Parts: sequence; C-alpha cells; structure tokens
Amino acid sequence: MFRFLRGAPVSYLFLLPALVLLVVFTLYPVLYGSYLGFTRYTAVNFATRTPPEWVGLGNFRTLAGDELFRISVLNSVKYLLVVPALQIASLAVAVLVNRQLPGIAFFRAAYYVPVITSISLAAVMWDWIYNKDGVLNWLLKGLRLMSPDSNLSWLLDPSTAFWAIMLVTFWRGFGYYMVLYMAGLQNIPGELEEAARLDGASPWQSFWRITVPLMQPTILLCTLLSTLSAIRVLEEVLVFTNGTGGPLNSTYTALLYVYKKSFGGLDFNYGLASAAGLVVAAIALVLSVLNFRLFREGSVRA
Amino acid sequence: MRHALRTLTLALGAAAFGVAHAQQPVQINFWTYYLSPKFDDYIKGVIAAFEKQNPGIKVNYIDKQGTLEQEFITAVSLGSPPDVVNLWVESTQKAADSGLLTDLGAAVGPSLKTLYYPNSLGNFTVNGKVYGLPWYASFNTGVMAYNNDLVKKAGVTALPKTTAQMVAFAKQVKARTGAYGWAPAIKDPQGGTFLGVFVDEGLPLIRGNQAVFNSPAHARVLQSYIDLYKADVIPQDLLRKEAFQLSQELYTQGKLATVIGGPQALNRVRDNNKAIYAASQVTAAPLGAGKVQAGGGMSLVVPKAAPHPKEALLFARFMTNRANQVAFAKIVPVVPTAAGSDRDPYFAQARASKDPIERATGMIGANGANLKTAIPPLKNPTDMFKAFDDNIEAAFLGRKSAQQALNDAATAWNALMK
Repeated sequence: MFRFLRGAPVSYLFLLPALVLLVVFTLYPVLYGSYLGFTRYTAVNFATRTPPEWVGLGNFRTLAGDELFRISVLNSVKYLLVVPALQIASLAVAVLVNRQLPGIAFFRAAYYVPVITSISLAAVMWDWIYNKDGVLNWLLKGLRLMSPDSNLSWLLDPSTAFWAIMLVTFWRGFGYYMVLYMAGLQNIPGELEEAARLDGASPWQSFWRITVPLMQPTILLCTLLSTLSAIRVLEEVLVFTNGTGGPLNSTYTALLYVYKKSFGGLDFNYGLASAAGLVVAAIALVLSVLNFRLFREGSVRA
Repeated sequence: MRHALRTLTLALGAAAFGVAHAQQPVQINFWTYYLSPKFDDYIKGVIAAFEKQNPGIKVNYIDKQGTLEQEFITAVSLGSPPDVVNLWVESTQKAADSGLLTDLGAAVGPSLKTLYYPNSLGNFTVNGKVYGLPWYASFNTGVMAYNNDLVKKAGVTALPKTTAQMVAFAKQVKARTGAYGWAPAIKDPQGGTFLGVFVDEGLPLIRGNQAVFNSPAHARVLQSYIDLYKADVIPQDLLRKEAFQLSQELYTQGKLATVIGGPQALNRVRDNNKAIYAASQVTAAPLGAGKVQAGGGMSLVVPKAAPHPKEALLFARFMTNRANQVAFAKIVPVVPTAAGSDRDPYFAQARASKDPIERATGMIGANGANLKTAIPPLKNPTDMFKAFDDNIEAAFLGRKSAQQALNDAATAWNALMK
C-alpha cells in the first residue's frame, strides 16, 4: 500500500527539510562570507545602505602586510600542539576508567565536569591559580621547583601566557574526548582482548596491537575535532586576556583577529574579517586533509 | 432608502476609521545601554511622564547590552532603525563620522548651547556639529575613597592632592603595610588608557594631523609609571585587568588603600565587605599637573534614518533635561550634564553626609561642568588604541624603552591618520 514511500524521489523529499536548513544556515553563509572576503564592507556601507564594494585581493594584501595577523595565525598554528597532548591523555584515561571498579563512575563524572563548566567560571578559577599569589606558584614553591622570592604572574608573562591558556583548553577538552574514546572502547569485542591474553600478550601489547588499531576511526574523529577546535580557539583567549590578546599579543589567535575586526566597534570591517576567516578556513581544510591522510595510512599499516 | 442607509453606514465607518487612525499614537523605539533591569523604575517613570505630556507619542523601551553597536548598524541597514539610541562618546563620534546620525545642533537650534554644559556638548561634537544630547557622565578621577585603617597603619598624615604626592603615598603604603596604595589606569581593552595619564599631566596628544605624545616629557611620565610597576608599588595585574575592576577587587580584599573614580566604585565594597566600607572615607581625587578632570559621557542620539525624528528629538530632550538628569543622579552616582544641575540642593546635602557613597555622590554630582573627555575624536580608534597599547605594554614589560615605545606608537598613529 505504501510502496510509493520506498521510491528514491520520496527519500529525497524526506531529506529536503534538512537540506533547506543546510543551505540557509551553512551553504549560503559560507558562500556569502567568501564573497565578502573580496569586498570592503564597513559601517559606512551600513549607514549609506550601499552594497559591499568589490576590492579583489585587496583584503588579502592588507592581511599579508599586517604584523598582527601574522602573529595571530602563527599562534593558532602553534596552538595545535594541544592536539596530541589532549588525544594521548584522554585516550589513556579512557582506557583506565573503562573498567568495572568500585566508584569508577565518580572518576568518569569528575573528568567530565570541566566540559560543562562555563568559561567565565573557569576563568575566575584559573585566575586564582595563575595569579602571582596563586595556587600554582604556591605549589611550585612548595615542591621547590620555584624560588621562594619568585612572583610569576602566569598570564602576564609573554613566555608563559600562551601555555597557561593552552592548559585551560586541555583541561576543558579532556573529558569530552575521554567520553568519545570510552564509547569507542566499548565497541571493541571483549573476545579479542581475551584471545590475546590467552595467546600470552601483555596488556601493553594488547593495547598497541588490538585497542589502538580498532580505535583508529574514533582517534581520527577526535583528532579532527580537536584540530579544528584548536585552530578556531577564541573563548579562552577572549576571557583570559579581556580581549586584548595577552601580553605582547602572545595569545592573539586568528579567530580573535576575525572577531576583533568584525565586532571591535563601529569601525568594523566585515570584508577584512571575512578574508581573515577564509584564511583560517583554508588552514583548517589543509589540516583536515592531513589528518585523514595520516590516519588512513596508519590504518593500513595496522 | 436602503441606498441612503448604506451610504450613511459607510460614511460613519470611514469617519470612525479616520478618527481611530488620527488617534493612533506614534510609537518611537528607544534603546539604552546596560540600564535594564536595574534602572527600569526610573526609566519607565520618565517615559510615563513623557507620554502623559505627549499623548500622541508612545515610547517602546528596549535595553541593549554588549552588542548595541552591531545591532544598531544592522537595524539601520535593514531599514528599521530605532528612533533614540543611547551611545557613549567614542561611539557617537564614530557613528557621526559614518554618517549615521542627525545633526541635533541644527534640529534644536541655538538654544541647545544653553541646555547642557559646553564641555559635555563638546564630547558629542564632530566637525563642529552636535550629534548627541549629553545624558549622564562619570569621572575617571572624580573622587578618591580610601581605607582609613590602612592609611593610618602606613603612618600617612596628609592625603595626596597631586599625582606626585600620590606616588610618594603609594610607596609609603606599600613599604609599611604590604598593601598597594594606588592602582592607576594604565591599560584596558577598550582604549588607549595611558593617553589619559598624559592628559592628566597636561601633555598634548595630537597637534594637527600628527601624534605628539612622544616628547621627552611624555617619555619621562611613562618611565615613572614603569618604575613603579617594576618595583611592585602598583599592582602588576594592571597590565592585564582594567584598573577600575582591579581596584574594586583589591580594595574589597583590603589589599589596596585607595580607589579613584566615581562613587559607584564603592557599591561593590559596601555589598561585599562591610568592615572595609565602614573604614572608608572619601576625598577629592589627586590631580596631575594638567589639573583636569577627565571622564566619559553618555549621549542620546537620533539616527538619520529614524522613522519619527521629530518625536524622537522631543523625547531625547525630555529624557536629558535637567530635572530628569538630576533625578537619575539621585538614584545612581552619575554626573548630570544638563546646565545648572550643580545648583540642585541635593548635592550640597549629600556632600555633608558621613556615608562614603552619598558624600562621593555629592562631591562629583555637582561637578559636571568640569568634565572633559581626555582623548579627542579619532578616525580609526580601535586600530589606533591597539597600536598605542601594544607599545605601552612592551615598555612596561621591558621589551622597549619608554621613548622607543612612544616613538613607535606615534609612527603607527601618523600612518593611521593619513
């Protein structure tokens, strides 16, 4: 009776609402944003209700000559160092908490708490930690890793501010990836590990020969997500540096540049911000391709 | 007969529609910045009084917060701008520069100059035209609240009246109590704060189309602050946090002896640390060699594309008249900018109060005529402030000498001003 519902055209019909949303909220903004990257579009255009003015590669030339943009892109690329640390640590902890031990639910929840902690609350907490009279200095002095007269303000020193903010990103992302890895681990059939144990494999060998290869799709997903998040990092920098980009712009990231050029005040320049956004998108695309390449090759070897 | 009845019905109907249409009040949209819900009672009260006086006008009040500027220009671009908008000095100047605003000087006529203090009108004047009606203002250095317990502990006998005395005071407080004595504004994300220090010291910023803040005198002033920073006489977090915010935090914790600013600085102290509030007293803020009182101000502007400009102007004038400005200053310690506000007896009474906030309110409330914005209108303020702040920061962090930092900032400004 409802055979017509099984036809291909009807299937497309079901996809239509999602497709419309995708076009309206993703495709159109991407295309229009890309177009704006080649225009001059400022408050004056809004005031005079004139359309964006085509400037070709003008915005990209401005970006090429802008020292702040160069610093911000370099910082964003440097920020990728958080990715391997985050992935290795969250995979390792996922393996540890993926056991049936008494009270293990507490540890799983505890590691997840930072994910649901708001950035403003995290900022207050980490401010106490990084302050010159804060917990971190107290701890390091207690462990005799820092001289008792040192008064390092971690977010104020250009050589530490970047790493201090990256640690917060690590702290906030760690639980999220741990949960994804746990989901992946629970999909691995228990018989495989059992068989390996019977064959005399050590836990370490079992981890490297069975767990890691079978987790390859999850690792790819997590690494990809983490890479894209790292290249687009904004919240932490915005909150911890009051939007200034940190001491001597040491924590100024590419997305902060886009944000400031778009929403920095009435002297905004959507055209320049869009051009910067395109550069960030291009970098993210290249990194995504690299991730796929890397993990596909890894998968073949495994 | 039936035809006559139908004609009569139609005629009555049309007349009724016409009357209803004529009685339909004009609705104007009024946007404020960060005032709701705290001041809803006051704002809605003024609106009700205005509507009573002007039955043909209804005011739709909307409070906007962090995205006001963006929403404003978006609304203009979409063809549905608000009629009256609350902007601040820099935004008014920038919006006027972008051609968004009505020339209120021309709309009101010569009487405009008699309604507000000349300095406040000057803040909202761009290329000789007034684009905003001054509403309320605040001083960067209006009054100084001090923790008398800490001051006594430091053995201070005379409170500082000049910046030079403040430096000596800060050194003495730090040496004898361990607490800071002073948290001057040296950097904040919204603007080139240190420029205000130069203005306080009577040093020029721009001459014609040239930045002139890199003279040896400017460098000496900057160097003196760097020395205080390096010796930890002023909090090093001033380079990271806005001075007003940091002052409130440290003062409330008993780690800072003074807070310079408006009486509003003491609100959080009163709410969070009753003991320190009880030990607080208020006096005039120390002045630099320039002997000026710098501050910021809020305006009400009428966009050029406002749907009801006549009614908008009527409302903006009502909202910013002397009676309503003074009434606002009695609720929250802002500085009224309508001419003659200082004559209101409330301020004299408040000055005699023993409560620090009331006393501070009395001291600054009647001082609107002296308020002046430190930094002149700039074409590209965000980039200019960034260039200035980056160099100042490099000097404080020891990466550049004071003179080099100011030279580099001046070079950047001159390039941006071309």
